[in-house]
Amino acid sequence: MNDIISLNIGQFALIYLLLLVVLSVMKKCRINQTKLLVVASVRMTVQLVLAGLILTYIFDNPHPVFTVLYILIMTGFACYMAIRRNKTINRNFKWIVAASLSASGIAIVCFFIMAVVGVSIFNPQYTIPISGMIMGNAMTGVSLGIKTFHENIHSQRARIDALVNMGVTPPRILTPFANQAIETALLPTLNSMLGMGIISLPGMMTGQILSGTLPMTAILYQIAIIIAISAVTCLSVFCALFFGYRTLYNKRNQIII
Amino acid sequence: MFALKHVNYQNILRYPDMTIPAGVTTCICGESGSGKSTLLKLLNGVISPTEGEITYSNQTLEAYDPILLRREVLLVSQSVYLFDKSIKDNFNEYYAYRNIDALCEAGMNRYLDICSVSLPLTSMCHVLSGGERQRVFIAINLSYQPKVLMLDEPTSALDDKNATALIEHVKAYCNENQITLIIVSHDKAIAEKYADNIIELAGGVKE
Repeated sequence: MNDIISLNIGQFALIYLLLLVVLSVMKKCRINQTKLLVVASVRMTVQLVLAGLILTYIFDNPHPVFTVLYILIMTGFACYMAIRRNKTINRNFKWIVAASLSASGIAIVCFFIMAVVGVSIFNPQYTIPISGMIMGNAMTGVSLGIKTFHENIHSQRARIDALVNMGVTPPRILTPFANQAIETALLPTLNSMLGMGIISLPGMMTGQILSGTLPMTAILYQIAIIIAISAVTCLSVFCALFFGYRTLYNKRNQIII
Repeated sequence: MFALKHVNYQNILRYPDMTIPAGVTTCICGESGSGKSTLLKLLNGVISPTEGEITYSNQTLEAYDPILLRREVLLVSQSVYLFDKSIKDNFNEYYAYRNIDALCEAGMNRYLDICSVSLPLTSMCHVLSGGERQRVFIAINLSYQPKVLMLDEPTSALDDKNATALIEHVKAYCNENQITLIIVSHDKAIAEKYADNIIELAGGVKE
């Protein structure tokens, strides 16, 4: 296999031309998001360049502290983003969401790196990209799950009130909402598994093949990461909701939404 | 049966001291915003007063297990909720939530009759009219045979004829079974006709 062709800056700049295509479609269809397009592209570029520089430094000077610090910052951001998308939940619920996301994410990352890949958790080359994928997907899953849960309990307030008035216990009332939200959070991952290899060659596998890894090795990694992603989504949403819904009622079994 | 002393809810509603006798029909009247629905919620412990004390059967509400209290002092709120299923399935679903054995069809029909619902049990609830849904909902609640039944605006979606029939039958059933009936209504005619005891909540209680 050949090593990947490094992009020189001139060639690389060509890809930005494609943004002009997006821009012209937006103008034509009067989509008023030009500002977002510019901000998003610039932010992405700056953030990724920074990540590139930091990773280069860490790979050149591998030290457990750097790896741990990188993961902690990533986890912190994932929690922050998941909570920011669900601002209206109560304070304790937010803490539970953050704790569930961090604990499930870190547990799955450790299992993946130490048991499946079989390298040290402090090895930045494996730990950093793998935890990025796992944390990112866990964050999306948790955001979606909590959002679904929260929207449903508000839109179905009449049902909750009717059951509360009848003397049904809050856990019995809220569990179906939690189950529904876990399902909603899990479905995108499960659905994407169906088309994998036929309609999509996932990013990690594509990247590995481009950089010269044997396709059979690349698919093993891909299968492993997708299973890890579905596990982390399921586990983090389950923990967030299973412990989180308890913040919605008090000792007198009164619902406080 | 109930007694309120210096009850205040979140400093928005202050209730006059009152007692609600057992075994009779009490109507609570008053303008909207006078705290009628809130009073019912306070009585079955779905919310707690900020200040003051409510006693039920000579014991403060705090002494009761809240879930058991709500089953005994049943509140049928104004917002009706029925699952998008048949009437029979709604009975079954609500009974399952309460962890009690399903009612037989004859039993369901009996309570539907009391609430003047003459529809087959297989009727789908999402196609029923507002008034029919309200009556089905009351029938399900009535079938739990609580000690106290509290109806919040039970006739809001009903015409006069249906409203009269419903209240008359429900009251008769409650009398027969020693159920204390508490009805919130802005309709004074209903209160004057059916109440053994009327509590008027004046807008002036509000601060």
